Amino acid sequence: MATLSVGQALIIAIWVAIVMSRGIGYATLTLRFSPLMTGLVVGIVTGHITEAMIITAAIQLVYMGAVAPGGALPSEPAIAAAIAVTVAVLGDFTPEKAVAIAVPVGILGSYAYQFRFFLNTFALRILDKYAAEVNDRGIFTSVIIIPIVISFILYVPLVFVALYFGAPVVADFVNSISDGPVIHVLEVVGGGLAALGIAVIMHVIGKKELLLFFFLAYFMSVALKGLEINTVTYAIFGAILAGLYVLFTRKKEPA
Amino acid sequence: MNAEEKRQTPENYPEPITKKDLLKAWSRWWWANEIPHTFDRMVAPSFLFGMMPILKKLYKDKKDLSEAYQRHLLFFNTQAIWGGGTLTGITASLEESRAKAFAEGKEDEAPSPDMINNTKVGLMGALAGIGDAIDSGTVQYIFIAIALPWAMAGSPIGALFPFICFTLVTYLYGYYFVRMGYGLGRNAAKEILAGSRIKTMIDALSVLGLFMMGILAGSYVKVSSSLSFTLSEKEFVLQDILDSILPGLLPLLTVLGVYLYFDKKGFNITRGLLWLTGTLIVLGALRIL
Repeated sequence: MATLSVGQALIIAIWVAIVMSRGIGYATLTLRFSPLMTGLVVGIVTGHITEAMIITAAIQLVYMGAVAPGGALPSEPAIAAAIAVTVAVLGDFTPEKAVAIAVPVGILGSYAYQFRFFLNTFALRILDKYAAEVNDRGIFTSVIIIPIVISFILYVPLVFVALYFGAPVVADFVNSISDGPVIHVLEVVGGGLAALGIAVIMHVIGKKELLLFFFLAYFMSVALKGLEINTVTYAIFGAILAGLYVLFTRKKEPA
Repeated sequence: MNAEEKRQTPENYPEPITKKDLLKAWSRWWWANEIPHTFDRMVAPSFLFGMMPILKKLYKDKKDLSEAYQRHLLFFNTQAIWGGGTLTGITASLEESRAKAFAEGKEDEAPSPDMINNTKVGLMGALAGIGDAIDSGTVQYIFIAIALPWAMAGSPIGALFPFICFTLVTYLYGYYFVRMGYGLGRNAAKEILAGSRIKTMIDALSVLGLFMMGILAGSYVKVSSSLSFTLSEKEFVLQDILDSILPGLLPLLTVLGVYLYFDKKGFNITRGLLWLTGTLIVLGALRIL
């Protein structure tokens, strides 16, 4: 069984801390909500970019619906990817197996994020004083530096330990139960969970009368599977349909 | 010279707010955004951090500036682009009116701190709702849906494309909201919440979003039956029968099942996840799937 070096585990842990501290602004929105970039980082660090991307794509499907109203996410895709993609690459797993590992890890990860808010709440009390004094340096330290340092102290050891000590154990364990009924169940779950994220987005968009476009696209993609139309082409079809919809619904209004 | 007279001297007159100031405020808010999130103030520290350069140009009196800093530390939470962008613009415009009214000695015409705060608090929720649904919920996933096949094929572009596109596009139209918010002042929110241009844009994005979800569901949800039985020495494979009726039936039923679950039982993603996982485990263990 392959293992990670200290350096490899540390780089992945630091990446997760950058993402979860939200240290590079709104750019971290999609870094946190989507496992894709974290999966790529794991791929680069472990030297298995292709495998990592294939596995991450399967994990992405489960997390399609991550939108975090009010800032709380029921599961953390970036943390899930950091652990599950690493385990899957080390153990040479199928994407479906990786998904089954990612889901519980992601749910555990969401507690850490709540804990981050908790620590910030205490550390940033001094802001009242700085604001009253118009102390710009103090405000910069409190708003930017301290919360980022807190996140690093919280996430780097957590992810490092999970990766360095946990990942080989999990990979060995999953391998030892391979080919049994447990793996069949894991693969069924991994394949079916993709439905969750898609349903969440349909619900978030929330316009029932527009579901027709979902059905149209669904049956197009099933019926035209043999033609291997890529998603960019489909996106163009979708954009044209969106344009037509706007055009025709607008016409009804009196000019 | 008493305090009132001091405010009216030319050197204490607020400096004009330029496009560069708005871009600076926007970029600072964009950067700080979720970094200092706390339970009691939520993202108010980031809002103050964003407004600081503008407040400094407006309030030359240290006491006024200190009050302005403090009022933007009050509880505030919204979505970064629609809420944060628009409210950065509106607040800059309101604070400018207040500072000017002060400088001209017409303090009774100045927007009060209460009114500034109520505008922010009154709008943050509605704008966040739109922002979450459009940015995180639709625009992000349109880019991801386009890039997913590249990721499936093992290409790093599958990760880089949605990250770069989403980050860039939201930064740009967020700045547009700042400018719009500043230009329209308090009326900006009405324009955004009820304006026909925005409604058209939301409709179009909804159609495109739902269409892409259909494509994804058809391509990537993998639910198939492994059930087979023998009847009068002839083997029936359930999946083959289903395929001859309607290809892609089971994945579609799975997606619709979850959708209807949210519709009827309330929108709770964690509960939906647990139910779906449980159902799949049982059906998989029974070898029905």
